[in-house]
Amino acid sequence: MLIAKKLTKIFNNGVLALNEVSLTVDKGEFVFLVGASGAGKSTFLNLVIRQEVPTSGVISVNQQNIAYLKKKEIAYLRRCIGVIFQDYKLLPQKTVYENVSFAMEVIGTKAKVIKPRVYTVLELVGLLNKAHVLPSELSGGQQQRVCLARAIVNRPLLLLADEPTGNLDPDTSWEIMDLLSEINKRGTTIVMATHNREIVDGLQKRVIALDRGRLVRDTPKGGYALET
Amino acid sequence: MKPRSFFYFLHEALLGLVRNRLMSLTAMGIITVGLFLFGLFLLVTANLQYFTDLAWGEIELRVFLKPAVTNQAAIGKQLSALPGVQSVTYISKAEGAVSLEKMFNNNHLFLDEENPLPDAFNLTLTKTADPEELTRLVTAIPGIDEIVFGQDFVKFMEIAIRLVMVAGLILLFLTGLAVLYIVVNTIQLTVYARRKEIEIMKLVGATDAFVRWPFLLEGIILGLLGAGLALLLLREGYTYLVFRLQHYRRFLPLLTGKEINLTLTVSLLSMGLFFGGFGSHISLKRYLKV
Ligand SMILES: Nc1ncnc2c1ncn2[C@@H]1O[C@H](COP(=O)(O)OP(=O)(O)OP(=O)(O)O)[C@@H](O)[C@H]1O
Ligand SMILES: [Mg+2]
Repeated sequence: MLIAKKLTKIFNNGVLALNEVSLTVDKGEFVFLVGASGAGKSTFLNLVIRQEVPTSGVISVNQQNIAYLKKKEIAYLRRCIGVIFQDYKLLPQKTVYENVSFAMEVIGTKAKVIKPRVYTVLELVGLLNKAHVLPSELSGGQQQRVCLARAIVNRPLLLLADEPTGNLDPDTSWEIMDLLSEINKRGTTIVMATHNREIVDGLQKRVIALDRGRLVRDTPKGGYALET
Repeated sequence: MKPRSFFYFLHEALLGLVRNRLMSLTAMGIITVGLFLFGLFLLVTANLQYFTDLAWGEIELRVFLKPAVTNQAAIGKQLSALPGVQSVTYISKAEGAVSLEKMFNNNHLFLDEENPLPDAFNLTLTKTADPEELTRLVTAIPGIDEIVFGQDFVKFMEIAIRLVMVAGLILLFLTGLAVLYIVVNTIQLTVYARRKEIEIMKLVGATDAFVRWPFLLEGIILGLLGAGLALLLLREGYTYLVFRLQHYRRFLPLLTGKEINLTLTVSLLSMGLFFGGFGSHISLKRYLKV
């Protein structure tokens, strides 16, 4: 599903954000990406969706090397990847429904497909009764669920989450994690960058740790830190 | 482009215009002023050209022969065969003398044996005649002494047209820059107002074309609205002018509104399209890194 070989990213300002990272994520896996601030987690995710271009090394998604994509191919790559963020990135003037349907409209989905699909994902994330309110009227957890609904509405193969619980209290964080587990059970591969020790320890999934751009640990079922 | 997408783009473009209405109105106003000037330039040059063409139709050229020439008839034939010559009239030295005497009301201006006038031909020209080319051809005929243009005025008009053209083009170029500048800035504002939407669109895999079209349409709508307004003002204004000046038609022949409307409409609308489309294109190139 996702393969990186000696993946290296040096930013224009000279910062070495990723240093020869090699890893493989199979279809259906749930992977935590952990590491201190500045370790390179976000950079890795940005390379996967082709927001950034690698300095050297290989990164491929679905057996396709994405280092050399044409603009149009980048668009199509992104259609099979969903992304959620710490700050949700919802459009404030659009309702919950519109925020989600927007993601389908802009890739040219037929109107009659959009409506039932949006309601289905809103039901999945438990926001059917909030479909026509604005994001500003929602709690942080609810906003994150809208973001999640938008990320999965186009049925991506891969879901990337960059600190999705970063702004949420522990209970709400667990709600989001339950949803992510549910989505993962339905077959979507998930890579989640996080600082949340409690969640990583609690779920005992595969953990990949980065430290100053280097991959320092890859445990199949582990916790946030190395067991002592 | 699918029709469904087109309506989406149009809706987004109109939304952009309405959201930033002050800037949009300003941009439209500037485009109107710019294209109004452009239209004015077209009207002035077209009328000058028309005026000159009419004058050419009435112009006479007088070709004087050398005194020794005896094959007048052959030269006459050669002259009438030249391109742009409408008619040729032979005026012998005797006839020339008579007409001069008439002009001065003096029957004994010349004594027969000392008439100093050369034989001559009067040429009238067609509208399409090229005076310089004709001069060259006529001079090349052996036996021709001198050519005199009936009206220096026409020459003057040709120069005037050229001057108006050059000055007008410089002015139009500057106006064009100003129009482009304002369109670029207007579209840039909408791009800025929508940066979050654009970010999301790109993230979920909208194609570049999809992201760009609404902005391009926005520019095009601005351009066409500006052009439409300029066109309305010019056509109404010109029709009124022609109406007011109809009594002076004999001295100041003007093209009628009908004769010029098509050119004016096509030129202005395509200029509007160009400025709107090209302006937003530049703006997208500069401010929409996709
Ligand atoms: N666009 C950029 N230009 C230059 N340097 C960057 C850029 N983005 C990130 N960096 C640098 O690259 C390094 C890795 O950043 P990254 O955002 O990947 O870390 P992170 O692991 O996501 O951290 P956090 O947990 O704080 O989100 C940091 O030193 C950061 O300053
Ligand atoms: Mg980060």
